Amino acid sequence: MSSTVDLHVSPLGRVEGDLDVRVTIEDGVVTDAWTQAMMFRGFETILRGKDMRAGLIMTPRICGICGGSHLYKACYALDTAFQTFVPHNATLVRNIGQAVETLQSIPRYFYAIFAIDLTHEKYKASPLYEEACRRFSAYVGTSYQPGVVLSQKPVEIYAIFGGQWPHSSFMVPGGIMGAPTLSDVTRSHAILDNWKNAWLEKQWLGCTVDRWLENKTWEDILAWVEESDAHRNSDCGFFIRYALDIGLDTYGQGWGNYIAAGTYFDPASYDRPTIEGRNDALVVRSGVYANGSHHEYDQARVSEDVAHSFYRGDDVVHPFDGEQNAIDPELGAKQDKYSFAKAPRYDVPGVGRLPLEAGPLARQVVAGKPQTKDFQDYDPLFTDVMAQKGPSVLVRQLARMHEAAKYYKLVKNWLNQIDLHGSFFAEPTDPVSARGYGGTEAARGALQDWIVIEDGKIANYNVITPSAWNIGPRDKDAVVGPIEKALIGAPVYDLEDPVELGHVTRSFDACLVCTVHAYDGKTGREMSSFVINNMC
Amino acid sequence: MLEPVHPWRLIDDGQEHPRVDLLIIGCGNILRGDDAAGPVLIRRLWESGPVPDRIRIADGGTSGMGVAFEMRHADRVLIIDASRTGAEPGTLFAVPGDIVAELPPAGAMGSHDFRWDHAIAFGRWLLGPLMPDDIDVLLIEGGSFAFGDPLSPVVDTAIERALEIVRQRIASLAESGDD
Repeated sequence: MSSTVDLHVSPLGRVEGDLDVRVTIEDGVVTDAWTQAMMFRGFETILRGKDMRAGLIMTPRICGICGGSHLYKACYALDTAFQTFVPHNATLVRNIGQAVETLQSIPRYFYAIFAIDLTHEKYKASPLYEEACRRFSAYVGTSYQPGVVLSQKPVEIYAIFGGQWPHSSFMVPGGIMGAPTLSDVTRSHAILDNWKNAWLEKQWLGCTVDRWLENKTWEDILAWVEESDAHRNSDCGFFIRYALDIGLDTYGQGWGNYIAAGTYFDPASYDRPTIEGRNDALVVRSGVYANGSHHEYDQARVSEDVAHSFYRGDDVVHPFDGEQNAIDPELGAKQDKYSFAKAPRYDVPGVGRLPLEAGPLARQVVAGKPQTKDFQDYDPLFTDVMAQKGPSVLVRQLARMHEAAKYYKLVKNWLNQIDLHGSFFAEPTDPVSARGYGGTEAARGALQDWIVIEDGKIANYNVITPSAWNIGPRDKDAVVGPIEKALIGAPVYDLEDPVELGHVTRSFDACLVCTVHAYDGKTGREMSSFVINNMC
Repeated sequence: MLEPVHPWRLIDDGQEHPRVDLLIIGCGNILRGDDAAGPVLIRRLWESGPVPDRIRIADGGTSGMGVAFEMRHADRVLIIDASRTGAEPGTLFAVPGDIVAELPPAGAMGSHDFRWDHAIAFGRWLLGPLMPDDIDVLLIEGGSFAFGDPLSPVVDTAIERALEIVRQRIASLAESGDD
């Protein structure tokens, strides 16, 4: 006898439930899903009419986790609008800032957010379960501790160059504010080496970065695991063995279509940033992979639908023209709307508009596109992993962790290239009217800004976050978004505790708008003895 | 196999870090009305002139976990944040850190729900004996927390009152340092 149930969960376990998921489960398998972003993010509305540089201050505040990524792309949006010259040193420092934020996020996300679910008692039949608990339990796990503690190291480098992390505004059109000293650079090398030695190699890989990067296929990875006890018992080796044992390679596939906006620039190729010249200047490339083929990325092919989102307005709207006319969710619910996220889509040549997954797996799939320039990242590993295994919760995690080794090497290289006697800023001329586009890859995927400047003020501003790509709802044709698609097919063994939905959702590292951070842990009455003015 | 070690041993990278007598951190989200009180206070303090060398001011924004790491190099900590306790907007609370410290739910670690009250408890785990034991919290009750709202006038006034308290604290520390 078959059974069908509807389940509402907050898989990210948030206090205010800013991402809710509704699923239909038939015979223990998810057959339909709705991802519901329940909070309005109105920063584009705030920016309209403001000074054209306001995005540099405001957008890094969107997020306490990837504020540096917001600054990076907001700055490039202005560089393209202002037609600046960006000194090569400034490009290097911007690259370093963007990359170290991602290097921080990789272990912090893995241990503090994802791996703690691997200690769920559902897995106690696994012969590796006890070891998983020993390593990954929150606060006390032997791997959790160094993973979380050492995750702070890379952003210490950000603070050296940017003054502070995460809400710095040190990147400005035409370069960066300040000029680093020799001691800033040597200290950054030391901090990064400490992080690499103490966490990346000792804890995560159990081998050198270079040995790991020799892996070019899924077979290579499996052989690497068995090559030595050091590999087998590293967190990476253990995670792969455990994930295969508990079936994290068997669900959470999603659409299998991907978008990368790309990030990090070759200094000489992008000292005069333009929208058209961007793809050829990227170190970690942009691209769209759809239905088995690679396509060049073109921001003009991006559009958003609001058919199932709590907004008034048209569908198929390009971000330069986007609006945020929010409506009351109760009213929207009557029109089949269910989320404050819009539904971004990409018009793939010859295919049509598709939902695309953003994130590290998207980047690593695009990294397998045939190489065009010497300085651009070409990496065939995930082309093979996808061919052998297909996408899954495990493969999404592996792509994320693989980037730790790659970006470590990039940052070391950029630190070595900084010319301390060179220029870090070239004063630009403010435009009266212009359009700009800036994009990057936050740890969790493509993050992009579109700005329209008129009469020296912001006439329109649009941010499309990686989580908008991933958690976006159905579009005008009722095609489900990437996380919705990834949830469909997931097994749910215990309706009271659907840990599988958490694995899938968290494998996207969905990151929603920062909520109010005001203290509300106790009531005013409980706190009345601490009042020091006479208000109440 | 890796053996458990204390988190505060792991954090030592052998580098010299300057210690400060007092770390003043303003927390909150400047995009959400009165939640901006903490960062605004820090901004006004910074714009009104230099603070003594052994005092550090920081805009913690919405990065709760960052606040915990910041506390490592300080003898004393003063946290300023907006509150939403139901009291009259503009009410100022001076609260010992112990009263409000609370560990976040495990799943909220590193996420947006990680606030400084979590950071104090998390900091004890993280820093152990290196954690400053002199932590005070100055809370400014907000009225509106809607996206894009300006500061309420009554909260703006309360920030000025709080600034006086912060400046007195800085002055008394500077005096005791002269002895």
